[in-house]
Amino acid sequence: MVVETLKDDVKAVIERWKDKEGNLIMILHDIQDRYGYVPREAALEVSRQADMPLARIYEVLTFYNYFKLTPPGKFTISVCLGTACYLKGAPALIEEIRRLLQVDEGHTTKDGLFHLQIVRCLGCCGLAPVITVGHKVYSAVKRTDVMGIIAEHKTVEA
Amino acid sequence: MAMTREELNKLKSAAQSNPPRNWIRVGYSTCGVAAGAKEVLDVLNEEIKAHNMDVIVKKCGCVGLCSAEPLVEVNIEGAPRVFYGKVNKDVARRIVDEHVCQKKLVENHIYEI
Amino acid sequence: MKRILLQDTNGSLKKELRDFHVAFSSYLRDNNLVDKAQVVLVSDIGVYNKGIVAKVLPEGFIYVNLNSANIAEIVDKTVVKGEKIDALSFEKKNKQMRLVLRNCGIVDPESIEEYIAADGYQGLANALAMGPEKVIEEMKKSGLRGRGGAGFPTWMKWNITRGVKGDEKYIICNGDEGDPGAYMDRSVLEGDPHSVIEGLMIGGFAVGAKHGIFYIRAEYPLAVERIQKAIDVCRSKGIIGQNIFGSGFDFDVEIRLGAGAFVCGEETALIASVEGLRGYPRPRPPFPSVKGVWGKPTVINNVETLANIPYILFKGGAEFGKVGTEGSKGTKVFALTGKVKNSGLVEVPMGTTLREIVFDIGGGVLNNHAIKAIQTGGPSGGMIPSQFFDTAVEYESLQKLGSIMGSGGMIVMDEFDCMIDISKFYLGFCVDESCGKCAPCRIGGTQMLAILKKISEGKGEPEDMVKLNQIAQAMQKASLCGLGQTAANPVLSTMKYFEDEYKAHVIDKKCPSCKCPSLVVYSINKERCTGCSLCARNCPVNAISGDRQSKYTVDTAKCIGCANCYEACKFNAIVRQ
Repeated sequence: MVVETLKDDVKAVIERWKDKEGNLIMILHDIQDRYGYVPREAALEVSRQADMPLARIYEVLTFYNYFKLTPPGKFTISVCLGTACYLKGAPALIEEIRRLLQVDEGHTTKDGLFHLQIVRCLGCCGLAPVITVGHKVYSAVKRTDVMGIIAEHKTVEA
Repeated sequence: MAMTREELNKLKSAAQSNPPRNWIRVGYSTCGVAAGAKEVLDVLNEEIKAHNMDVIVKKCGCVGLCSAEPLVEVNIEGAPRVFYGKVNKDVARRIVDEHVCQKKLVENHIYEI
Repeated sequence: MKRILLQDTNGSLKKELRDFHVAFSSYLRDNNLVDKAQVVLVSDIGVYNKGIVAKVLPEGFIYVNLNSANIAEIVDKTVVKGEKIDALSFEKKNKQMRLVLRNCGIVDPESIEEYIAADGYQGLANALAMGPEKVIEEMKKSGLRGRGGAGFPTWMKWNITRGVKGDEKYIICNGDEGDPGAYMDRSVLEGDPHSVIEGLMIGGFAVGAKHGIFYIRAEYPLAVERIQKAIDVCRSKGIIGQNIFGSGFDFDVEIRLGAGAFVCGEETALIASVEGLRGYPRPRPPFPSVKGVWGKPTVINNVETLANIPYILFKGGAEFGKVGTEGSKGTKVFALTGKVKNSGLVEVPMGTTLREIVFDIGGGVLNNHAIKAIQTGGPSGGMIPSQFFDTAVEYESLQKLGSIMGSGGMIVMDEFDCMIDISKFYLGFCVDESCGKCAPCRIGGTQMLAILKKISEGKGEPEDMVKLNQIAQAMQKASLCGLGQTAANPVLSTMKYFEDEYKAHVIDKKCPSCKCPSLVVYSINKERCTGCSLCARNCPVNAISGDRQSKYTVDTAKCIGCANCYEACKFNAIVRQ
């Protein structure tokens, strides 16, 4: 991807953090907030503008689970796999989503609509099992609810 | 520009004087919001305005009763102060209609722990 | 006007309760007392297994084990005269105590005025007036120990950092709550951000640090937002800044975000992450108190620890020390989750028993199933079986049982939870989160996980259990940081207390909880089967066939043991063993 404003975006982010020591993680957070992931072009641009080896940037990007290197789908389905959700049936939800969308965790469906990710505890254990689609949170989800939840977002798209 | 201890104490007594008599608090942490606290807050605000009642609706943190979110605490003169759990838009409307206006407790949603 | 609240929690008492409700209402009507009392069905009164339970407001009397014969007396004495009927009364002890969560759910987290009205920043003002030595003295009196897991006395941590020479020192709030199943830190950051800031400032003053850093998980955007807002308003009001309360103490705070690495909860890894590096832990010494962020002396306290501190400095260390037990002072917040009726955050004085927490506060096990174990301490903790439920919760008592206090996850497991499966879950978490720097953790964890997988698939051999033990000990002794040293705890504690379950898997090739798919055989009871085909439609691998006449059967060769049919069947016709 090449975005016209990429250079300026990166410049603004670096400007914001330039006086802070150890700012790399914060810079990458800002970039991911802007694009939904950290595009290689953006990493290159950070390397150039902040005068930092690309390896140093990727060293951090690949260590932390939070950073994404590929564009997310239109909707990210996050299935919580904290202990409470695990006990209350989250594995069956993952199985069902995989079966219905034919997609593995960490991947995006062929139509680019859904990205499936597993997260460690969204912090709403009282509502377990929890999945989120985009910003919408579904609590006490049953396996049989999954199809409806997916359909809900497919219709929004259509 | 630093605050002095006297100013802190002045702020404290100012903040403590005239506490609102009628208020509704909505648990507004991640778990509450996930369970629908935003819609509940909006409905409560609209309904209180529509009924022209002297009631303050505000956000607060999580009380800890996560399985009963969204939680709403209601303190209205003339009725006991209670927590309502598993509140949705409909229950929020009933809270204003029945509890706030008629001073009647709403059935099936009170968590009195 | 009186309010008679009737508890209607689960369906078990439905008919009796409904009859009681109707009888009560008609009695009021017949006696022209309708405007004297309102009868309300409510979701919970917090008293369990005591038949029909009623609470009378505004007095707050709780009556239990009621039947229709009691109605007249309740109306005559309590509704009309406001008297308490001792014979029906139940004294509910409030087992919770809110120190950490004192403002959560009460103050508006975005209003500094409300925090100040609730004695906010008074503890800081006291601290600044008394000087650092006296602050540490108060902390010593309080007996507060770190709430992040290890339970190191907070005053000692502060005293060590204070004693290190250096012009620049740092204090960090560890808000990298990584234990899957604990969320009290998020709740405090979101619900009472100012108390954490105040605690951080008091700590900064005590150790001589002018810089404070909040290290918070990026997965907690609302917590980050609330802390940022609280910092901004403190700056604008002159609470954070220079010469605070005229004491000459300067302090500033910034936020750094985590990025999804459990290991960053470990102090040295956290420091690396704050510096913008990979979150690798490093050997200690040198300890962070000597060489921390940017090589400067650094003290790191967890969110819950910090939230206690304003209270201690406002009320005095001795007052705080009255709560709790000899070795563990104050309260502890637990995230009570899993198969428990009322899941949520509970805060209890140290020394409360596990049974009181799960049964009296939590209301017992969901769906009245049998409880198997309570897990504390998350992936670094262990499983506690039912014979120890009367243990008082303290740092040492939990350690003795092979678990830890940890950050405060408390997960209830019932008879359908398989201990091998759950050990696999926790160990899998640590393997995923291992940073890979040291071999015992990286290789040991992976090997243990492979063995557990083998056991759960029915391919285990008796010597596997010996191997698990050996690897676990090597990991405990040789891993670089706490993650690896404790990663084997869930396996060790389940092997110790649930050896029979391991043996059932390894020798009998059975999963007693019917959880491990390879070890469960599904079949259909023809007498119960109505031929509705629901099971066949829910089978993802078409292993179920049949029709309305001949009923349905499971092809065990095709079956993957997913339990979909078992959950779908409305007639209990699916048999698993």
